Amino acid sequence: MPVNLSGIPTDRVTEDAIERKLYSRDLAPVPAIMVKPFFHTLPDAIIRPGSAEQVAEVMRQATRARIPITPRAAASTSYYNTVPVRGGWVLDVNDLRDGIELDIAQQTVRVLPATTWFELDDALQQRGFAVKSYPSSAVSATVGGWVSMQGHGLGSLKYGGVGEQLVSLQVALPSGELCTVTRESDPPLDWFVAAEGTLGVITQVKLTVRPRPAAESHHLFAFDDLNTLGQNVASLSRTEPRPFTVFFADSGYLRLLARAGFHIPLDLPQSHFPISAKGLLLVSFQGEPSEVSRGKDSLVRVAGRELPSELALEEWSLRLYHLRTKRAGPSLLAAEVWLPLDKLQNYLKSVKNLAEHHRLLIGTYGLAVTPNMALVMSLYPTDERHTIEYLAAIGFTKRLHDLAARCGGRPYGVGLWNSAYLPRLFSRTRLDELKRRKARLDPLGIMNPGKLYHASFPLWPITFGLGASVLGAAHIMLAHREERP
Amino acid sequence: MSDTAFFKGLMDEALICAYCGYCRSVCPTYAGVGWESCSPRGRIQLTRLLLEGTPLTAEQMARLYQCTMCGHCTQVCSTRIDLREFWLAARTQTVERNLSPQGLNVAKENVVKTGNVYAYQNDERAGWAEYMDDAPADLYQRGQAEVVYFVGCSSSFSPRVQRIAESFVRLMTAADVNFTILGKAEVCCGFPLKVAGMQDQVAALIERNLERVRATGATTIVFTCPACRMMWREEYACHLTDVRLLHSTELLAELMVAQRLSLKDVKQVVTYHDPCDLARNGGVYDAPRQVLAAIPGLQLVEVHERRERGLCCGGGGDLEMVDPTLTQRVAARTTSKLAATGAQAIVTACPQCVRTLTRGAVQSAPDVQVLDLVELCARALEA
Repeated sequence: MPVNLSGIPTDRVTEDAIERKLYSRDLAPVPAIMVKPFFHTLPDAIIRPGSAEQVAEVMRQATRARIPITPRAAASTSYYNTVPVRGGWVLDVNDLRDGIELDIAQQTVRVLPATTWFELDDALQQRGFAVKSYPSSAVSATVGGWVSMQGHGLGSLKYGGVGEQLVSLQVALPSGELCTVTRESDPPLDWFVAAEGTLGVITQVKLTVRPRPAAESHHLFAFDDLNTLGQNVASLSRTEPRPFTVFFADSGYLRLLARAGFHIPLDLPQSHFPISAKGLLLVSFQGEPSEVSRGKDSLVRVAGRELPSELALEEWSLRLYHLRTKRAGPSLLAAEVWLPLDKLQNYLKSVKNLAEHHRLLIGTYGLAVTPNMALVMSLYPTDERHTIEYLAAIGFTKRLHDLAARCGGRPYGVGLWNSAYLPRLFSRTRLDELKRRKARLDPLGIMNPGKLYHASFPLWPITFGLGASVLGAAHIMLAHREERP
Repeated sequence: MSDTAFFKGLMDEALICAYCGYCRSVCPTYAGVGWESCSPRGRIQLTRLLLEGTPLTAEQMARLYQCTMCGHCTQVCSTRIDLREFWLAARTQTVERNLSPQGLNVAKENVVKTGNVYAYQNDERAGWAEYMDDAPADLYQRGQAEVVYFVGCSSSFSPRVQRIAESFVRLMTAADVNFTILGKAEVCCGFPLKVAGMQDQVAALIERNLERVRATGATTIVFTCPACRMMWREEYACHLTDVRLLHSTELLAELMVAQRLSLKDVKQVVTYHDPCDLARNGGVYDAPRQVLAAIPGLQLVEVHERRERGLCCGGGGDLEMVDPTLTQRVAARTTSKLAATGAQAIVTACPQCVRTLTRGAVQSAPDVQVLDLVELCARALEA
């Protein structure tokens, strides 16, 4: 049935079959056999509103017709957060971009949600300011998108997650109401942080910014064992002055880079096995010159070997380009986990042991994002052209999540695919609270349905656990067939 | 990120594409269209569907041609795909399947029949010189010379940018450069066909141009058109030994250093627009700025988006032949940003940029003048 939306120009709506197909995926391609029998990922239409008012109008009409809405900006996550699973309309908000209004006195900025973090920071830097934190996908990740996720990345160690920087949000609710939410409002803005587009559509963001740092300094250290690396990441993350960011990577990550054809800053043995326990740590300070200077002084306590400053600068310049490891694929799968820093070395060693035992190539890198927590990504190459092997590789992700869980970690982000881990992600009380919010703001359940609050078959913990275990084992068996690295 | 970029083949790179959207954030035509299929990552997926045998229409594949080949996507690609190579190979596949836009077939026929994309009689190639008051009797066609000025189709035939050719020969004459043009013996360099995916039509053009250039004994070939320069560097250079291929700005910079040009005051505030095929795709950033700095009295106000991050005029990659409305949209946006510097004039170094930005300025910055650097220098010669 043709979509006919009053108040929305017809050139902002499409039902073209190819266009809809392009909107039914995100970063990670998933085989049709895992998707088609269970989920309706092909949207019925794509709508590109040109203003907040048009967003609200679409919401009003979707509610009236009980049509699912999936908000989408950069679609730079990999859990189907922005892919419909029950058809309906995809709301492509990318035209809500720029509109940057800096309040110098208050050190705040108002910005439209599809502005990327790179664009916002670039605009602020020209006026003597900077964002406080940004994701490692800042070139494409949008301000509204990161607020909708958990919003931790570079700079979070020093300035906190993006949720802590928010002053207010303008949100289009399923009712069609366009409202401004603050910490004191009802509902409060906290409800929309990490809600993954399930409560409404963010149409404007106001957040605090910082003066453009007058100085910065980057230092790269090499470690010969993962214990010392993990301990140093943890201790540096609690040091004062607080680093802007602390990045770490193991030898598997470096091996992936080398296999992808890139220069790496450490010499590794010819063979990946036995897996080297070497690792890298990049620490960056930003701020006033005296603060940065004190930061540099604090590095005398770092137990690693400091590498030349040009290597540190190169590593810093590549901070938004970890995906270049995908050239080692052509496909790359990953488990992204939120992990206590005190257990980081345990996790790194567990991954190394798993990889070594089964002769797999797994690379791990991450960021300390609070004095106590790290955001860690474990990647492994595969090839989506071989469906059975690829399916098995997808199942293997659970093995990594299980290792993280044993170290007190949990998946980062939910969407569709991580809903299988709901018991690990939320306590029952917390989940009940989230469901209450959902019931109040979206009683008809049109906003991004099938995500976050419950797992749909086959992602029920029991079916998923069983299936993923079998597939994960198959991945290990299939991986034995070749000398991967 | 680094300059390294890879191209292992269409399907390999389509698989490697992470769908991260970095390319989308900088794509000038995506900004003008807005649908995912017009983003570079969308075009990669379309190409993959094409290679996998999905039935696609010429209308759907037209998205592949809604691209100016500006190279910004390659610059930011998180998986370091050489996307310019990708687009060229993808367009070739589209042509092979008869799915390329009709306008490009017309352009191909024009070039094959007449030797230029404008479908003029190629005898009129040096027509611009005939209208110059100060042109010598030989109309700059001297047979033997140290330098060949390869004028290119646009500056030969397009009225708005014939002034570029006029200005450049005046400058070379003033600097006592021993040069010649090829006149009617010059044919299209082949760039428009190459970027259309019609590479098989290019060899004959290369052979004709090479033959004429060799006959001059020249050791330098100079271009006012960055696309011609790039075409010669990519497709002709392997057939030449000890011949320098320079853009006009590079030659002018050399002449300035050698103090062979005496320029007078130009009291004007200008901004400089980096042509994609000269700068991001061609690696020439400094020469035009050195020339600008050598013009007394001139004030340069740079736009924030410059050099590697330079804005696209909208006229590259054959887009103007396929979707002139989109070219105009991109041009107006770029002109608006350039004009926001407060400059009285936008100076660039490419006839196609001059053409498109001039039209863009009519829409978004009517008080701002658009001119090529050689035009500005020629004015400084006369000032």
